[in-house]
Amino acid sequence: MARYAMALDYKNCIDCKACEVACKEENGILLGADKQRIWVGHGEIKGEYPFLDITSNTFMPSQCQQCETAPCESVCPTHATYYDENGVVRVDSEKCILCSYCMVACPYDARYVDDRTHIVDKCNFCSDTRLVRGETTTACQATCPTKVRIFGDLDDPESEISQVLRVREYFTLKPHLGTNPKLFYLT
Amino acid sequence: MSIKEFIATIPYNRISLRDLFAFEKSPVNILIALMTLSFLVMFALGVAIYLEHGHHAYGVSRQHPWGLLIAVYIFFVVSSTGLCIVGSLGDVFGFKDYMAVSKRAIFGSIVTIISGFAVIAFEIGHPVTMVIYNVLSPGLTSAIWWMGTLYGIYLTFMVVEFVFLLRNDMRMARYVGFFGLMFGLLAHSNLGGVFGFLNARPIANGVFYPTYFILTAFITGIFITFIILGFRYKLNFTEEIKKLLTGLAKIQALLISILIFFVSWKMLTDIYDGLPGRADVALHILGSWTFWIEVVLVMIVPMVVILRNMGENLKAIFWISLSGMIGIFFMRYNLVHDAQLKPLQMLKIKEYQLAPEWIHYFPSAAEIMISLGGLGLCILLYFIGSKLFNLDADAHH
Ligand code: SF4
Ligand code: SF4
Repeated sequence: MARYAMALDYKNCIDCKACEVACKEENGILLGADKQRIWVGHGEIKGEYPFLDITSNTFMPSQCQQCETAPCESVCPTHATYYDENGVVRVDSEKCILCSYCMVACPYDARYVDDRTHIVDKCNFCSDTRLVRGETTTACQATCPTKVRIFGDLDDPESEISQVLRVREYFTLKPHLGTNPKLFYLT
Repeated sequence: MSIKEFIATIPYNRISLRDLFAFEKSPVNILIALMTLSFLVMFALGVAIYLEHGHHAYGVSRQHPWGLLIAVYIFFVVSSTGLCIVGSLGDVFGFKDYMAVSKRAIFGSIVTIISGFAVIAFEIGHPVTMVIYNVLSPGLTSAIWWMGTLYGIYLTFMVVEFVFLLRNDMRMARYVGFFGLMFGLLAHSNLGGVFGFLNARPIANGVFYPTYFILTAFITGIFITFIILGFRYKLNFTEEIKKLLTGLAKIQALLISILIFFVSWKMLTDIYDGLPGRADVALHILGSWTFWIEVVLVMIVPMVVILRNMGENLKAIFWISLSGMIGIFFMRYNLVHDAQLKPLQMLKIKEYQLAPEWIHYFPSAAEIMISLGGLGLCILLYFIGSKLFNLDADAHH
């Protein structure tokens, strides 16, 4: 029993996309941008040459926010989407009827149709690949050269993520929607 | 009485395949027959393409997962609920003037919802899994679960009500019809809730759709009643039917004025003070031609035509009911498309995508073929039903 979450020191991101590749590799995700579980987004550069605003050109790694109150879970007609014992929002491929309601309801565009299993899938913090083998990191975290990602258990006060969140400021995405995301962007 | 004996008491006409082709060979009838036939062929083709390629045969995408088939499903179930409301006027609420159309409308509500189910079966990826896990693992917080389950119950009630109507058992028809209507309204407002519950989509979120769906269902029901009675009487209405239709036309004028009021205020509140994700989407909708088709065909034209003679010009209202249904189709299509117009990533507090763009969607050939197929199926079932059963009110009404 844990409460898994991830903190992102996103300002360190250099847009190498190693995490995108590692995720596809580890979880056997099909190729293509519309099949990705995680992605790195780019801020639009603001201003007109030569007065460009370099702070606007940030790289923002993103993915399923592992909401604590997940809209995708409440709208699912068959409980195919569920919270597992570690607070990770997962999809049971047996029960998914491919109604796509979760895709419409997720505020973070985090879901995609997996053409191997024919269900709507999403990031599950490598629960069925790495965590189940007893590993304690996700593929994206293990591969990141600039250590952007910190994955861990919020219920363990000694975990790295708990410590970081105690001393650093952070924000979450679209907090006004009340989804209580468990992805924390460190500022 | 056992169920078998009960079923044996349902009055129906024995017909052969030949009777089905024994319609009057007027140009209009032949045209409709050919259209229906080609739609059914398209249905088979579309389904074949879908079975081969899955959702890749459709124009849907990650950011626009719901497409034409969802809109067409909504179109049919709105029609069904609407016909159920019109049918209930006489049969449940006891308005004598509307009794004459009850049986036909209730039958119409059954064929339209069956057509809707036939279309959605090819949009839901795993319909069989759905039937199983809807029962084994019900998602009680899901509006789709409620909508689907309530529509299932509704269909059962409608069939039973129709049987009682055929047997001329008006007392039982009234009881069953009442529950049918209640479940229909609940199911239908839940369908509005499927969109209304979307906190992530400010343009759809809120109480508007669940209520608006009921209103537009009633409007749709009246349009279809004009169409089916227009065909039934070849526009030469009897005095009884004239009275019925004039009454419905007046109700229609009232409903459409409420609709205009609803839609105007929805647009105004959407746009007011520019709330992102809502105001920009509403302005985009105002600039799209599909929205104006809806406004012209469902609101302006019917309003003008009905009000000109206070609902007496029944032939004209028949024609604007036909065009009204085209408008209603666009209304459904717009609803589904508009909810998904805005890319969600743009709504994040820190943007990480290039300049906002609208999400494009255009239905694929397979989607269009299956949709037209739904219409073909609906016409065919209705035609068979009109031969098999006596859908006119019995003489003593
Ligand atoms: S980000 Fe989307 S997919 Fe992930 S838990 Fe939240 S609602 Fe579900
Ligand atoms: S697509 Fe699958 S996981 Fe998503 S809401 Fe439907 S049944 Fe649930």
